[in-house]
Amino acid sequence: MDETPQITPEEPRVDGEPTDRELVERSQKGETAAFALLVERHQRQLYRLALRMTGSDADANEVLQEAFLNAWQKLPNFRGEAQFSSWLYRIAANSALMRLRRKRRAPDALQEQPLEPTGPRFSAEGYLDPPPHSDWSQRADEKMMSGQLGVAIDKAVRELPEDYRTVFLLKDVDGLSNEDIAHALELTVPAVKSRLHRARLALRDKLGEFFGP
Amino acid sequence: MSPIEHCKECVDLLGEYVEGTLPPARAQELEDHLSLCMPCITFVRTYKATGKLCRKALAREMPAELMASLSSFLGKHVPGFSCPKSGLTPRQADAASDIALKKG
Repeated sequence: MDETPQITPEEPRVDGEPTDRELVERSQKGETAAFALLVERHQRQLYRLALRMTGSDADANEVLQEAFLNAWQKLPNFRGEAQFSSWLYRIAANSALMRLRRKRRAPDALQEQPLEPTGPRFSAEGYLDPPPHSDWSQRADEKMMSGQLGVAIDKAVRELPEDYRTVFLLKDVDGLSNEDIAHALELTVPAVKSRLHRARLALRDKLGEFFGP
Repeated sequence: MSPIEHCKECVDLLGEYVEGTLPPARAQELEDHLSLCMPCITFVRTYKATGKLCRKALAREMPAELMASLSSFLGKHVPGFSCPKSGLTPRQADAASDIALKKG
């Protein structure tokens, strides 16, 4: 039986630059310039992941260093079953979790904390009750300019349980895919979607309170 | 699937809807509900605005000092490494990283 792992196909890049797969193969042959291109390409997104998980630039810096060094050392064993970026996120997430665990004896994964029931209320028949009257989506710019909204958002996001906050930030603020988040945080994609939806509902409630009726 | 009569069903599907991952037939049923339900229209607008506003308020770029620090670190631990687009030689990256660390 052929036990060769299934290799995930990779589309050519529109900018004509080498694909991750090509750079990985060159790096595996010891070409550090190719590895440097991978670092250049992925460091920003990895920084965001590390920052969201650890909460500080200093920790994110160390997570990044450890993750890229680990990636370089483990590259000979990388066989391309997953996207390189997903593999890299997982290495960085592990490094961040180990750091958190050392600091505060965190458990093996992001702390599971319940999100208090928030979000809209419904009548027995399933209608929004009370119905939302205020469409504050159009009034945000002026408040954003004054800085008050930024403070309110920061507070509301900080009040989310850690696992909901991390998923929300990685997805809606940093733009990672559900699949990459699931891979990095060892969650299923449906679990990522569920946390994301509930976090959005909770934050929408808080922003509604901020804008008032 | 049955038509969406109640707002609760609409709200439950919003995550998939705004991501465009709801099956087309279900998305159409949700839009049929929205065409008749002003409270849900308001709800959808504010739900979408939540992510957009948070992105504006909380988006973070990787600081240049951290890029220099990473480049310097890898330059020391990966033989032959130098960051291609920073324009910094390993020595310059090292100096920039030192400055960043002293700043704090």
